[in-house]
Amino acid sequence: MLLQLRRTTTKYTAITMTNLQNQLAYVWEALNRAVFIVLIMFVFVQLWTAVYETQGATEIAGLSLQATIWYFLIAEVMELGKIRHDERISEEVKDGSVAYTLTRPYNYLAYHFFNGLGETAVKMTLIFLLGLPLVVYYAGWPTVAPGQLLPVLLVGALAMLLDFFAFSIIGLLAFVTEDTFSFRLIYQKFVFILGGLMLPLDFLPGWLQPLARVLPFNLTTYAPAKLFVAFSWAQFWQILGLQILWLTIFGLILLRQYRWATKQLVVNGG
Amino acid sequence: MMKRIQAELSFLRALIGVNLASAMEYRASFISQIVGMFINNGIYFVFWIIFFNQFGTVRGYNMDEIFLLFAIVTLGYGLGFMFAGNTRQYMAYLVAQGRLDYYLVFPRNLLLHVIFSKMIVSTVGDVAFGLIAYSFTGRFTLVEMGLFLLTAVFAAIIFVGYSVITGSLAFYMGNAQYASQQVTNAMLTFSLYPNSLFSGASRMMLYTVIPAAFVGAVPVDIVRYHDGRLLLLLAGTAVLIWLLALALFYYGLRRYESGSAINVNV
Repeated sequence: MLLQLRRTTTKYTAITMTNLQNQLAYVWEALNRAVFIVLIMFVFVQLWTAVYETQGATEIAGLSLQATIWYFLIAEVMELGKIRHDERISEEVKDGSVAYTLTRPYNYLAYHFFNGLGETAVKMTLIFLLGLPLVVYYAGWPTVAPGQLLPVLLVGALAMLLDFFAFSIIGLLAFVTEDTFSFRLIYQKFVFILGGLMLPLDFLPGWLQPLARVLPFNLTTYAPAKLFVAFSWAQFWQILGLQILWLTIFGLILLRQYRWATKQLVVNGG
Repeated sequence: MMKRIQAELSFLRALIGVNLASAMEYRASFISQIVGMFINNGIYFVFWIIFFNQFGTVRGYNMDEIFLLFAIVTLGYGLGFMFAGNTRQYMAYLVAQGRLDYYLVFPRNLLLHVIFSKMIVSTVGDVAFGLIAYSFTGRFTLVEMGLFLLTAVFAAIIFVGYSVITGSLAFYMGNAQYASQQVTNAMLTFSLYPNSLFSGASRMMLYTVIPAAFVGAVPVDIVRYHDGRLLLLLAGTAVLIWLLALALFYYGLRRYESGSAINVNV
């Protein structure tokens, strides 16, 4: 049992490290892609500075302008750094290579997760570092108590996992539909509004907030960003409970969907 | 001369026809990309509706201006890249990989042949969205509708011209795929936000290096205030951007090196 666990750990660690090395070898390309954060953060800073000015307020829904700017940086790091394996699955189905990847001695989805981790680590680091100077210039340094950093990191890690589950459900649809572009787009757009990427949930109209808070979209983006800028233990436990609930629901869906999808799969090419 | 123009136009029509037929070959993908883009634009709309409901007018912009801004930018972007999609990073790729040979051997206008050889399917969704967004503006006089369509066409011409400039950077920089993509994305992103948010150097940038104001804010003002002088300025800017695009492309072509790649276009 222990030997099996050690072998499994070694195997998946090797997958992560291999992709991490690949990403570091092409770090210039990753950097070029990450530059977008500077542009979008600049636009957000201008927009929200104008909003706070117009409202004549130092705080909106409990968030100061500085906290709002930091919120957007963390939300963008989460969004832009996510594992995007559904596109890869779709490509594998289209070119027929899924016939080989499915039969390899690893769990298909676990492979994509650990493979994506390497890429995500590089992407998130670069996006954060590129956005940092601009955010510090306009908003200064955040005040985060060291004791709160660990729960925020835990919520961040679960947010990534939940998002991976959601994209896996979308990716496995490719076994039947081949192309998942529209499913991905619709999911991402829900994250934009109900996930808090374009507006913190606290800024949404009162009637929409309760719905947005229980849906899974906010748990992938809003949750870590909000806890980072305005931590409260009550909100932490609430978010953690919802994350575990949605991970269980998505996990059960994935188990059934994987069995069903592999039976439906028709492999192209030869 | 007229015969030459007619021949070029009929060649472009044939190219557009082939692009459309090829895109529609994968019917499900064709429809899902269009619907997907429509939803994509719709979500930004939802964002602005929530935003203005919560915060009211911000620096002179409210929902009416945003309807008009989105209508012009999405229609202009859609019209431009629906027909002339082989620009930006796609053109930069062709240049950097030495794959222009395929186009060079044809007795046709090189630049037009290159840029009209690709259709961005999702832009059909942008065109549909732009027209529907305009129906929310409540500006239904003939003059306003005429100005809307005219400025959207100018926006399309500017979008394509600017993306020829960014694509041509590959002649000078080598691998300019990311740079051209980022700069063109920047233009689109800035154009969809109220111009009044930006001031100083960043505002200056939107009228020069990244001319987002000429595909968004300036056309909006033309339709709002029926401003003929601004319309002339827009037309002049379109001409200027295309002169720069032609100069950069054809001057850069002298530096072009073939990749000797076997290129089969099906």
